Amino acid sequence: MSFFLESFFAAFHLVGSLDPEMLAIVRVSLTVSCIATVSAAVIGIPAGFALAYSDLPGKRILITLLNTFLALPTVVIGLFVYTFISRRGIFGPLDLLYTQEAMVIGQFILIVPLITALTIAAVSRVDERYRRTAQTLGANTWQTALVILREGRFGIAAAVISAFGRVISEIGISMMLGGNIKGFTRTMTTAMALEYDKGSFTLAVALGLVLMAISLGMNILFNLIQGRSAR
Amino acid sequence: MMLYTLDQVRRCYADRTVLDIDHLEIETGRIHALLGPNGAGKTTLLGILGFLETPTTGRMTFRGQPVETSRAALLQLRRQVVLVDQHPIMFSTSVCNNIEFGLKIRGMEKTERLRVVDEVLETVGMRSFKCAAAHELSGGETQRLALARALALSPRVLLCDEPTAGVDVENQGVISVLLQEINATRGTTIIFTTHDRLQAAALAEHTLVLESGRPAATTYENSYTCTLLSDKQGQLCCSLHGRVKIPVALLLPEDQQPRKGRVYIDPEKITLARIDHAGESKEGVTGTVMLIMAEGDKIRVVVNIGVLMVVLMDRTSYRLQSPVIGERINLHFTADAVTVLSACQRDS
Repeated sequence: MSFFLESFFAAFHLVGSLDPEMLAIVRVSLTVSCIATVSAAVIGIPAGFALAYSDLPGKRILITLLNTFLALPTVVIGLFVYTFISRRGIFGPLDLLYTQEAMVIGQFILIVPLITALTIAAVSRVDERYRRTAQTLGANTWQTALVILREGRFGIAAAVISAFGRVISEIGISMMLGGNIKGFTRTMTTAMALEYDKGSFTLAVALGLVLMAISLGMNILFNLIQGRSAR
Repeated sequence: MMLYTLDQVRRCYADRTVLDIDHLEIETGRIHALLGPNGAGKTTLLGILGFLETPTTGRMTFRGQPVETSRAALLQLRRQVVLVDQHPIMFSTSVCNNIEFGLKIRGMEKTERLRVVDEVLETVGMRSFKCAAAHELSGGETQRLALARALALSPRVLLCDEPTAGVDVENQGVISVLLQEINATRGTTIIFTTHDRLQAAALAEHTLVLESGRPAATTYENSYTCTLLSDKQGQLCCSLHGRVKIPVALLLPEDQQPRKGRVYIDPEKITLARIDHAGESKEGVTGTVMLIMAEGDKIRVVVNIGVLMVVLMDRTSYRLQSPVIGERINLHFTADAVTVLSACQRDS
């Protein structure tokens, strides 16, 4: 028991002293996850909007497929991207394996379906009268789309926050495509796994505390947005 | 000048025809009322007139020009016509931003936009609400704000779907006066739907009654959903909500089964007769006088015979009969009083 308490106190000290190694790991994690989330939002939000309002023949099948992708394990995505970017893969010459770019690609694939599916849910909940009102007030197709996006903004923001929470805490993709290289592709989750393997808990617990703090911050933001949306 | 002309316009959803108009003309600069029961096609017709819905078949002109259904053409047409929904929805922002929306997308400058916002808020008596959150207003205020949002765009045509439904009596009056003012001061053509024949008579210069998606040559009142059935003599009767049977001047084939339908009973072809001391007459139907009021050169008497039925009497007949509110009285129907508007599926 005292061993755990000692680890916790040491971890708090590490966080409090802003340990450079810990900060480098946090920086890599945040950079990769933020780029992946923003890229996925840029694709996923318009895709979700288009799917929600389109009359595509296979729309229901597409939505079912999207929902299936939500349950895709990170290691499957890691393996899938690995086959493309490894030396023998078709993108091998680009030397992407074990880089932050590879991690971004993997995380992007992980959360695009999530953002798309949650955007579909968010804009589908927007009252149909907003579209009709915008049209009768003289809005063209784009202006009408912006009105609907605006009215569904809290749901869409919640989708993006959920996606960020998903990528910041994933380990499979970061480990398989990033390779856990110190100072370069080592993220909070891969570093924690490594420290656990080494039997050194102090940095692992410190990173766990930072991850928990980020998750808590995300959840508080999520609840605030949901609260505003419900009003 | 005719603002709209509609020829052979039909609107179908799957295999159901909700609107079927052979010919309709709507004059510019007037107030028009669309009357009809729920599901008669009033809102669909408003949607078509507002260029928000496209007819399944038919031809339509607006200000003498054929209506095209290309995206650009529809956008130009929509910018001349504004539809105010029965339950208008406000964008989740301020009152001011809601009114500015249509002006902003028309490229109007900020100072001019704010001038228009102030002007229309003054017109609807909501100046103090300028910075309020629009989606937190009451029903009556929302309806007035929706009118202000439409007015700001100075449309040629203002379409209102049941503008006073679900609004308190005070706001009903305010909205009715507003519609008249808008028409009188701006020359805006106003087309509104309503269930209230009196409101239609008070506001509108022209009234169109829709029954099952088709224009009907009735005054809307005394239109009832009924069961059409034959009595022992083979005489066709309409049973109104199972409470009262009225003969219809049509003979049914012998194998005719009861059918659901709608009938219209001409209020001018109903006569009143006092009940003598011998008791209630076996002919006609008996009811209680509920309301008496003057309407032009006629007297309107509303009698409860199980359903409320309107009788229009000329002043001489009224003086002779002098019905009293609360009095039991007999109603007699002339042979051609009842018109069958529609007889649909069999009543199982």
